[in-house]
Amino acid sequence: MAPPTGARPGWSRRAQYGLFFSFLAAIAGLLIGLFLLGLSLVAPKAYAGVRGVALDVTSPITRALNGATTTVSGLVSGAGNYWDAARQNAALKQQRKLLEQQIIQARAILNENRQLKAALQLRERSPQAVASGRIVGSSFESQRRFAVVSAGSGDGVRVGMPVRASEGLIGRVVEAGATASRVLLISDRATILPTRLLRGGQAVISTGRGDGTVDLRPLEVGRNPFRRGDVVVTSGTGGLYPPNVPVARVVRLDDDGAIAVPLADPANVSFAVVEQPYQPAALANAPAGAGQP
Amino acid sequence: MVRAALGVGRIDRGPKRLARFVPPISVVAASALSLLPIVANVGWVPDAGFLLLIAWRLLRSDAIPAWWATPLGLVNDLLTGSPVGLSMAIWTAAMLGLDLLDRRTMWRDYWIEWALAALLVLADEAARWRIDALMGAPLPFSVVWPPILIAILTFPVAAWAASALDRWRLGR
Repeated sequence: MAPPTGARPGWSRRAQYGLFFSFLAAIAGLLIGLFLLGLSLVAPKAYAGVRGVALDVTSPITRALNGATTTVSGLVSGAGNYWDAARQNAALKQQRKLLEQQIIQARAILNENRQLKAALQLRERSPQAVASGRIVGSSFESQRRFAVVSAGSGDGVRVGMPVRASEGLIGRVVEAGATASRVLLISDRATILPTRLLRGGQAVISTGRGDGTVDLRPLEVGRNPFRRGDVVVTSGTGGLYPPNVPVARVVRLDDDGAIAVPLADPANVSFAVVEQPYQPAALANAPAGAGQP
Repeated sequence: MVRAALGVGRIDRGPKRLARFVPPISVVAASALSLLPIVANVGWVPDAGFLLLIAWRLLRSDAIPAWWATPLGLVNDLLTGSPVGLSMAIWTAAMLGLDLLDRRTMWRDYWIEWALAALLVLADEAARWRIDALMGAPLPFSVVWPPILIAILTFPVAAWAASALDRWRLGR
């Protein structure tokens, strides 16, 4: 039997017209969708307002759920900590003793460093914290790596500001609502970060791989400079990120580079700190919309 | 006894008052799953809103009119933080495609529906991958295979959810 020419809902003209107009509405919807998508491709800033509002409306839900889960998991891990408190206590005491020695050494180095810098008359801005917030959510259903931080433009956060934790660099702000903002993580493919090898100081380009790791390539072609366990830090080139913030640790070598895991795992950091761009001019020069969702 | 034969709780069961709006509300709720406070390093969780939408569409052709996919896609874009217009276009195109396909198919069974859902998920993820590349994140396609497989394997759950909700809203 030949297929019917259309889905006819019987002889009722009203029903037929209803079906036809619904079909037209769907085509119009498709065209509107394609138009808006084209607009988000060429002018991502056009949606900053509506996306910021959406972020503000949705983040309280995520934050409340986050509070509940941390309380529950805190109860579980808290009970676990009591379980072998004596052994932990001994281990921590020993660790503390070692750390005290290291602190004294570090203080001496810091002092020396300050004197040397004063001698060289290097002018350096100390990074200023703008706001701090918790990482409450992430884009776990997309290949792009974004996280939601519970600090927004009401706290002074602006698009483009770098975000870090005590463990290392997290990323930079790409959308700012009033109470929450979206952060492009360093493991996103769109993040290209000028870094350097902590051992030796060789310039390295770090690119996200979209699966929680970053790809490291030396800037100069030659022998593979990486070893397993190497740490890369930001170089400060470009002026957006402050220099010497830990970025990632090498876990695997490939032919001319390495694959590394970010030191600050967004799932485990307790607080994310939004900082001023290292040199404020970098924000003005930043390519418009690069890496915007 | 006729009345006893009706059984307990069988009387006064019919469609719920807002039965028409159960399917779109459930799709919005599925999109809102992305608000769960999960901080993951990989994006392998399937697009729940899209899965539930095509599950509804494959279950009944009249549950969600094709053009409703546009506003539902906008909600999904805003909730998940994907580029505005992406889900709007993909979801509406999927609904239109299934409308056109309905004129061609002679018969349907569960395996054909699953295969159709798999094709739609593949097209959805490929389109997202292409748009991501245009927006400055050109990932290799190998990164996209795990979420595609997970989404295809999750489709039966979405189909079950849609049919359970359908029975509830129609009071059967």
